[in-house]
Amino acid sequence: MLLFRSEAHVDRWLAGREPGATIPITKLAELAAAWWHDRLSSDWQPRSREQSQAILDRLGLTGPFWSLG
Amino acid sequence: MIRNVDQADVDLRNATYRTFAELGRAPTAAEVGATTGVGEDGVRAAWRRLHEAHALVLDDAGEIRMANPFAARPTDFRVQAGGRSWYANCAWDAFGIGAALHVDSRFETHCPDCHDRIEIHVRDGQPDDQSPVFHVLVPAVRWWSDIGFT
Repeated sequence: MLLFRSEAHVDRWLAGREPGATIPITKLAELAAAWWHDRLSSDWQPRSREQSQAILDRLGLTGPFWSLG
Repeated sequence: MIRNVDQADVDLRNATYRTFAELGRAPTAAEVGATTGVGEDGVRAAWRRLHEAHALVLDDAGEIRMANPFAARPTDFRVQAGGRSWYANCAWDAFGIGAALHVDSRFETHCPDCHDRIEIHVRDGQPDDQSPVFHVLVPAVRWWSDIGFT
């Protein structure tokens, strides 16, 4: 879960390995806000897998790669 | 409620996170025990259940390794927010610390390809430099198979 200068840098770093998923940094910022915003809340409760999947779905992170199982 | 974790464990988890944020480092079992009134053995037993439920990550010695988005060990993601600093586990978590604290933040990392320094200021949830991209190598279904690698 790394940050690269550009997609070309990802490709060079992979060096022929199977790529994962590349998303814009703005999408990552949205994802982090949705995923982590309640981590320090005094009334924090664990999320179910379905709730976590719904966050990914809502941000358009869908398909087999983003399936939590 | 997730398996084998009850409300007392969740309360202890919340105290662990709160202490991590306040100290700028992972708390010890004794430190969490002091804030919760739970004995050190009780803290360690709760941490183990929370680890198994993926609510935090322990190292082989039973100490806190990750309380995502916070990292107990130095990483290439140093985050500053609200006048304090922490390490994050990855780029996702680097954004997550400001998101969890609900403040603007700044973090530094390096491009794994060219090793150039990347510095991101996050204001109102938005990165000031929108040119970098985020790559996830491991499919979501396997994130917890080896959370350290992920």
